[in-house]
Amino acid sequence: MSQAVATHDTHEEHGEHPTCTGIPNKKMFMWAFLASDCMFFGCLIATHMVYRISPPPGSPDLQGILDIEIVSISTFLLLMSSLMMALSVHAIGKNNLKSFRRCILATVGMGMGFLLIQSYEWYHFVHEYDLTLTSSLFGSTFYTLTGTHKIHVIIGIIWLMTYYFYSFSGKMDHKSELDVEVAGLYWHFVDIVWIVIFTVVFLLEFVDM
Amino acid sequence: MIKPFPNTRDDINRFYTFTWLAMFLALITGIEIVIIYIPAPYWLVASSLVFLSAIKFLAVIWWFMHLKWDKIFCTILFMTGLILAGGIAAALLAIFYFDPHEPTYDDDMMQGPPIIEHVANV
Repeated sequence: MSQAVATHDTHEEHGEHPTCTGIPNKKMFMWAFLASDCMFFGCLIATHMVYRISPPPGSPDLQGILDIEIVSISTFLLLMSSLMMALSVHAIGKNNLKSFRRCILATVGMGMGFLLIQSYEWYHFVHEYDLTLTSSLFGSTFYTLTGTHKIHVIIGIIWLMTYYFYSFSGKMDHKSELDVEVAGLYWHFVDIVWIVIFTVVFLLEFVDM
Repeated sequence: MIKPFPNTRDDINRFYTFTWLAMFLALITGIEIVIIYIPAPYWLVASSLVFLSAIKFLAVIWWFMHLKWDKIFCTILFMTGLILAGGIAAALLAIFYFDPHEPTYDDDMMQGPPIIEHVANV
């Protein structure tokens, strides 16, 4: 009973209606969306792996094409952006707008750094190796998979930037923690998808059978 | 002027948890990069990479995504999607991996013509 009352109070504090599960609707929606997005990325990753297990004749030599150093830097950036995102949720929960702005800007900056590195990699593939969406099956699955992930990153950056600008409106305080946390869930999801892509698409290509 | 709330011991602990976790994730990523250059059997290296990325994956959802502090239903909801995704991927891979017939590719596919043109030719 006391737990139910406590949950009720927490929701009202964040301007949310109490729910029978005790989980705010926004958060519930985001977890359900992320679960469905898992299946989406699962299919894309599996499709890529299927073609890599039985590569068609004339497939490019990936060890000579993929640049593991550059991909590692972008992976590091995305991992650190997750730290900044977690700290920005923490900061807004403590009503610390100054710290929130710094952390959210760092998150966005690292996300943009990731995008820049990935774009450079695409440019490199297209202009030096003639690897395009239609040049080979590897190109088709690789660009579809990493492109879908890139779109997710872009959406995340736009979403986080709206909170950054909104923080100057004077309407943002600790009651906005839930909204920022939901955006954070999305951002962390983008990170965990990349953790899988980094291993499956890049690292495993460098292991000799 | 909005004033920040004072930090409690729990806030400080959580800050350190996040920071240490990020360092741990970076360290694992470094280990993964080193592992691929170790001359060991394929199955050993591949399974080590999968294991390490699974640790990173679980660490992010458990601490950064607050599943540790959230209600169990959030974990169940996400894990349902994850298990379904894993099942779909495993089924797809099993179909092609255990099928004794190699997938067939005709020459037109290798040339990479526009898909619409290819379909029109068929």
